[in-house]
Amino acid sequence: MSKKTGTQPALHKVIMVGSGGVGKSALTLQFMYDEFIEDYEPTKADSYRKKVVLDGEEVQIDILDTAGQEDYAAIRDNYFRSGEGFLCVFSITEEESFQATQEFREQILRVKNGDNIPFLLVGNKGDLYDKRKISIAEAQARAQQWNVHYVETSAKTRENVDKVFYDLMREIRSRKIDDTKVSNGHGKEKSKIKRLKCCIL
Amino acid sequence: MGPLPIVTGISPKEGPPGTRVIIRGEYLGKEPNDVTGLLICGCDCLLSAEWKSSNKIIARSGPGKGRGDIIISTKSGGKGSCTVQFRGYHETIGPLKESAVWVEEAPLPGLSWGSRSLSHSTYHLEDPLGLSVEENEKKFPEDDLHEMFPEGSGDLGSENFEPNWFLLEHHHATSFDDLKVGLSYLKRKVDGQKEGQLSFLKDNVSSVMEQMDTLFLLKDKFEEDMKKHNTDTTTKIEKAINGANKLFEDVLSRRETADATRHALAVMTRYKFLFFLPVNIEHNIKHGDFDLIMSDYARARNLFGKFETPIFKQILADVAATINNLKISLHSKLKDMPTTLDQQKKIIRNLIILGFEGDPGWDAINSTYKYIKDQLILNREDHIAAESIQLDAEAGNIHYLGKQKSENNIQYEKHKKISNSNILLDTQNNTPPRIAFLEDIIEFILETFPEFWKLGQAYFNGELQIKPDKMKQNEFKQYVVNAVKLCCTLIRSAILPQNSDTELQWPHYSSSKQSNIIEIILLWLPHCIRLVQSLHSSLTNLEIPNESVEITSKLLLDLRIHSMIIELKKTADQVKGLSNKENWQLDYDSEYGAITQLPSEFEKLVSQAIQKIKESILETKRKEIPVLTNPTAKQELTVLINKIFLNFVQTLEVLGMISEDHDHAIAVSQLIGSPTPYSENDSSELTWEQRLLAMLSNCRYTRIIIYPKLSVQFHHQGFPSIDEPIRQCSGALSILEKRMIETYVELKSDPLVGTIEPSMYLGHFEWDTCLKPIDLRPYAKEILTNITAVYADVHRLVPKLLYRIISEIVETVAEELSRLMSCVTKFNSYGKVQARIDVMGLQRVLHQFMNENASCFFNEALEAVLPIDEYESNIIEEILNNFLKKMSLQLSCFIAVCPTKE
Repeated sequence: MSKKTGTQPALHKVIMVGSGGVGKSALTLQFMYDEFIEDYEPTKADSYRKKVVLDGEEVQIDILDTAGQEDYAAIRDNYFRSGEGFLCVFSITEEESFQATQEFREQILRVKNGDNIPFLLVGNKGDLYDKRKISIAEAQARAQQWNVHYVETSAKTRENVDKVFYDLMREIRSRKIDDTKVSNGHGKEKSKIKRLKCCIL
Repeated sequence: MGPLPIVTGISPKEGPPGTRVIIRGEYLGKEPNDVTGLLICGCDCLLSAEWKSSNKIIARSGPGKGRGDIIISTKSGGKGSCTVQFRGYHETIGPLKESAVWVEEAPLPGLSWGSRSLSHSTYHLEDPLGLSVEENEKKFPEDDLHEMFPEGSGDLGSENFEPNWFLLEHHHATSFDDLKVGLSYLKRKVDGQKEGQLSFLKDNVSSVMEQMDTLFLLKDKFEEDMKKHNTDTTTKIEKAINGANKLFEDVLSRRETADATRHALAVMTRYKFLFFLPVNIEHNIKHGDFDLIMSDYARARNLFGKFETPIFKQILADVAATINNLKISLHSKLKDMPTTLDQQKKIIRNLIILGFEGDPGWDAINSTYKYIKDQLILNREDHIAAESIQLDAEAGNIHYLGKQKSENNIQYEKHKKISNSNILLDTQNNTPPRIAFLEDIIEFILETFPEFWKLGQAYFNGELQIKPDKMKQNEFKQYVVNAVKLCCTLIRSAILPQNSDTELQWPHYSSSKQSNIIEIILLWLPHCIRLVQSLHSSLTNLEIPNESVEITSKLLLDLRIHSMIIELKKTADQVKGLSNKENWQLDYDSEYGAITQLPSEFEKLVSQAIQKIKESILETKRKEIPVLTNPTAKQELTVLINKIFLNFVQTLEVLGMISEDHDHAIAVSQLIGSPTPYSENDSSELTWEQRLLAMLSNCRYTRIIIYPKLSVQFHHQGFPSIDEPIRQCSGALSILEKRMIETYVELKSDPLVGTIEPSMYLGHFEWDTCLKPIDLRPYAKEILTNITAVYADVHRLVPKLLYRIISEIVETVAEELSRLMSCVTKFNSYGKVQARIDVMGLQRVLHQFMNENASCFFNEALEAVLPIDEYESNIIEEILNNFLKKMSLQLSCFIAVCPTKE
């Protein structure tokens, strides 16, 4: 592979995070294969990669679909480390999933050593508006607080599915461009300062 | 070659060998057989591959370790590539390792790598003979070994180890020398083991001693320490152990909870079908998907019915309760009316699917029947109420008007008329309650009954998937018959109040209201017949039991007969009323003389009636009883037609025979000088005699023309023969005619005859002082003139009866003459001649109208006169000739016309 890197298009690594059952895999599969999976089968860790055209440029998107279940909380760190951008998904019909985004956000920031991470807050299951528990305003308030965008999607109707992935890729791309600039200067120190001290048992 | 397969997705992206992975991508083969190769991390996993679509394959990862590609080869595309990788790892789960295991519902494929890898990993003993084993050499067949040593085993560790087996299995190709060497090797080894302990001690005496010393030293030191510190070291150790235990307690409990969670998850996943069942069932109930509910329920019962686990039992009980509730609600829904057949069938089907005990089909039939019954009764009550309200309103109207009566009597009368006519109008525009009731129930029956019947048919034909209870067939038939019967009884009681006898009678009102109602109903009868007919025909089309069809056809028949009777009675009344309509417009017919429009009016009425009857009453359809085959109907018909005819005869009689006083009798004697009413009477107005004659002519016309015509008409319209009534009425007519003729003749001849004598002896004439005769005497001429007048009337009005009437008059005249002549006491010679001249003149003139009696009388009259000689007879002849010549014009009517004798 290494010999091909010159010709190989840019690769953007996206990680799907969020509580179990909010529709991370559904979003991923809808984006990748235009299919909507009705039945729920908890994910462990799935990997997808395909070529897409982002603003006229051919790029590769690598999607890591992670497990939302608590059982996997410990192995998340490893995954998060490799991610370049995050889609933090919750279900607009489930209060807890929205609360959980806070933890995910914190974990990501901790692992990635910084708060300027390409990150999108995604409220999924937009088609079930009649069962809505989280108001748009509430979600947007949180997004604003984190200084990220909030998008509502529906994996079922494919509403905004492409948008979240493409938006995130754009963020990743611009972040990469920034990084290359910064790395010439003194980017490393910055990351050191932000490092949080934390340990888990 | 098609496009290369490319794998772009893997779920999960890592896992231990045997992980179920979903491989997604593009062009992964067109069909299951298209996939020729599947490598995961270099391991061939094609055997476990399950092709789902060209985008999805499910497989199990192989024993490959580390990160590796997923390569799919297809016949159509060749060897493909991938953009994602799978990482295989061998996981060892210790008590401290957090892990999650998804319980796979699908069993592992039998041909798994696992068993092979296990056999690989079994501990392999080195050969006890110290010989190298030539694995490539042909092996001794294992089956033969089993045969030779059925009890033995080649396993060195086994209790029933069989050395021969071992040798044959492992060394059957080894040479004897080698085996001997091996034996000595084994012996050496065994010896070495026996002597080993002793020789070991010998070899290491010094170090052993050294160790002993050290141990003693340690013991001393320890005892010293014990004395010095006076503490038991074991307590510390115990403390340490406890501390360690505490440290691990948390971990262990976490593991336990993890295990429990895992177990619970496994159970949840495995039995998610059951746990979701109540929700699913409710969901399906909402969607009405009863098939699904039932299959789910049955599946759940089969799968979990035997389990003793309380939670399963509870869920099953919940589900059973839900289904029971559903059943009950469906069952009650089944009884909800009104409903359609389809709905009922659907519900019944669903109930059957749900395993409803009982007979929903029959219940549906029952409730439908009850509904029909109730609805009919209810409808009736509604309309009775409507009727009473209407009647009250009318009464109120009249009552209100009655108040005004005191104020202005005339106005009241006017109002009353107006209001009456309004009511009539009302009833013609708005259907009266009873008819509305009829319409409603028939419409209702037409709507519901076919469905009811079809439901029954479906039930008994087994279309409802219920085993029909054949015993109930009779009951159902009874239901059908009862429903029809009830309907018919209701109709009967509403519109045929006089011949219904049940408690379903409509309320009886005061006579005036009652008659008013009946009158209105009569107006609507044809409509009713049509309604009932539609009911009947639709029931007939359903092919319901004959019994019930008979009920309707009986009702129909009764209605028709009733209607026919009403129609005929009406006609009879109208015929009776014809007398008031007679306008005496004479219509001259060459054959029958003058007739008024009476007979044709009569004919018109009768033919109208039969036309109407024919149209509305006799038109029968399939399975209806033709009205005219019914004996009572036939009899009624005959009687009523008879009545109509007799009524007409009566009418004729009334018109002809009842005279009005003021125009009675025209005085006949001009010679006496009595005033002649002729001049006074308006010529356009007919005198009574003329009316009599006109009626006479009408009688004849009716008898001869109208009756046959009607007879033909009846025949054409398919009515039974009316010969009998015609015959009777012809008889009655003939009698009437005779009476009329007699009356007329009497009327005419009485004055005529009465005038003869006075005229004869007018001016003190005496036969014995008679002068020389030169002509007929005036009295004779007067007789002729009078007869001529009668003749004129009769000829004008009843030419056919001319002879009959005139001859009778002539007879009376002759009789009178003969009486007068015989009464003459004395003739002189002139008188003799004169008398002869008179009599003979009359005789000659009237000879065409003379019957036997008349000629006898004339002869008697002549005989009464004295005989004459030849000279005298010549004179008579001469005078008579002269007279006839002179009077030829006046007498022409008697001579020229030769009236036919009847």
